[in-house]
Amino acid sequence: MRQNDLLCLIHPTGICLMLIEQAKEVLQIEAQSILGLMDQIGPTFKEAVSLILNARGRVILTGMGKSGLVARKISATLNSTGTKSFFLHPAEAIHGDLGMATPDDVVLAISNSGHTIEINKILPILKQMKVKIISFTGGLDSPMAHHSDLVIDVGVEREACPLGLAPTASTTAALAMGDALAVVLLKSRHFSKKDFRRFHPGGSLGERLSFKVRDVMVTDNNVPKVYLGTGIPPALNEINDKKLGATLVVDRDQKLAGLISDGDLRRALTRGDDIYREKVEDIMTTTPKTIDENATSAEAIALMELNAITHLVIVDAHEKVIGMVHLHDLLGREGFKINGQ
Amino acid sequence: MDNSRAPRGLIVELITPLKNGGIDGTGLEELLARTVPHAQALLLAGPRHGEGENMEMALRHELLEKAIDALAGRPLPLLVWVSGRTEAQTRENILSLHKRFGKTRPTGGLFWVDTPLSYHSNRGLPDYYRELLSRVNIPLVLHNDPEVVHTTRTFKRRNIRTAVLKELVQNEGIAGLIFSGSLERAHHYQRACRSRQHFRLYDGDENRFLEHPSMGGVVSIGANLAPGAWEIITQSSIQLHAHQENYPDRLQQIWESGDYLKQMVALSGQMPAAAIKTILCDMEIIETPEMLQSSEMEPDGINALKRLMQDFGDYR
Repeated sequence: MRQNDLLCLIHPTGICLMLIEQAKEVLQIEAQSILGLMDQIGPTFKEAVSLILNARGRVILTGMGKSGLVARKISATLNSTGTKSFFLHPAEAIHGDLGMATPDDVVLAISNSGHTIEINKILPILKQMKVKIISFTGGLDSPMAHHSDLVIDVGVEREACPLGLAPTASTTAALAMGDALAVVLLKSRHFSKKDFRRFHPGGSLGERLSFKVRDVMVTDNNVPKVYLGTGIPPALNEINDKKLGATLVVDRDQKLAGLISDGDLRRALTRGDDIYREKVEDIMTTTPKTIDENATSAEAIALMELNAITHLVIVDAHEKVIGMVHLHDLLGREGFKINGQ
Repeated sequence: MDNSRAPRGLIVELITPLKNGGIDGTGLEELLARTVPHAQALLLAGPRHGEGENMEMALRHELLEKAIDALAGRPLPLLVWVSGRTEAQTRENILSLHKRFGKTRPTGGLFWVDTPLSYHSNRGLPDYYRELLSRVNIPLVLHNDPEVVHTTRTFKRRNIRTAVLKELVQNEGIAGLIFSGSLERAHHYQRACRSRQHFRLYDGDENRFLEHPSMGGVVSIGANLAPGAWEIITQSSIQLHAHQENYPDRLQQIWESGDYLKQMVALSGQMPAAAIKTILCDMEIIETPEMLQSSEMEPDGINALKRLMQDFGDYR
């Protein structure tokens, strides 16, 4: 029996206890690396926060290899939490991408050793461009630290991975420090739930698009409608009262006859029509687009996009009006708003 | 480098080449020529493999003197184990070494290494060092190795207490700690030392360093035999330099060197300094495998180690 087999006692559940111990050791080392950072949070961290808050430009994250991946994640977190940021690959930077940086920006460079050649090539150039540089490093005497305006110590006492094959605790520490920075910035900017939803339409929008039209359409008395033969002023009142930017025109049997939108009114006025003398049937669109109440919101939006309209009418098998839907109802009136408005 | 700041990286715990009861100067030179290009520092007269536990003060003087000569101005920090069997003896050792080398210290810096619990209890340790270090201006590196603490008293501690260490690191004269022990204790010690920037924590256990490397570095016995491989692994483990160049080959090299060292530690872990000296003697690096105290050797183990070194191209 090999030594490893002897050490690897088999648990009744079939799980190797040594394996579990090893995994726990790794987590313990990584946890310690994060706890160790608490002593590094001090005046320099505070200065870094105020440097970013006062910057007119963006936060440019940069790093090579695993640190590059950490930099990408921190950049994404900053963007999600209200700090404009992008990732700059150091190797691409020296081949022209440095042009993306401006003196208004702040660079956040990540390298555990601080000796990463590619980063140390670009930092002097960025410094010449008057870009402020913050570094996350464990190499406090490294060239990267010397090039930086502010150095935040993310050094760890021990790595979890044997032989230095891959950074483990050090990348965890850098990532955690990045999260600390992002959250403090978020709080300093008074970033609200509404702001967060503005940057994260994906979840709520995706959910809404799977809704059926019947779930979001307006019905009954909330549907703006006037009868054939009605004058324009009552139609205008209906449009204003029901706040959908349009009104339906129906016959005495509630069957759909047409639709008057803000656009129809503008076109009538542009033609020089005397709209106060006209009836609704004179200016209405006689073939408004309809959709089945069982169609999805996504299908409704596709139909709107295809016809460049913002309203759809829902009718039953006998052409009787049962509802109306506006683009905003499909996208969610209280949640996601186009252009954040 | 700031000479009062403890080095970071590979510290070779040098075996002590002996000849007729004295230091084998030629052997020492050969050994240094083999190890120095790969090391960040040397530990002389280490308690176990450096035979410090059995070394008289006159011999330590001779060893340090010859090592400084052999280095010929190369800026490599030297660490010297100074502990005696009692507090008084340790104090005498330090003061005597300080008197001799305090003014003509080596270019790379000089550090005393002390295993306090081998002669002192935890109680009063901070005061003891405060007083002692006020009399010498050479920084000290603590050594915590329960294996070196010989005691017959049941309740005597073999490790420095974390609370005591926390107090000790406030003393600027103490520059680092060589640690052997459990990973859990290592975590406690890490926490205790965080308040001091540039305080070095070294792994005194090679196996631990190969598994979860301490960022301060390692004190290695095996580097007497395989200094090149230890250099590669130490540099890679603590990211001493950037190695983006030739990256795929380098990773392969790290795998091979790491595997070699793991096998070497498994074979040589329990081997006495005599075994290492025998191999170095067979390689004609030192003249004799002479020891201050004779010890048992297992020829099979030595042969296995030689074969391993031959396979890796380290045995010439």
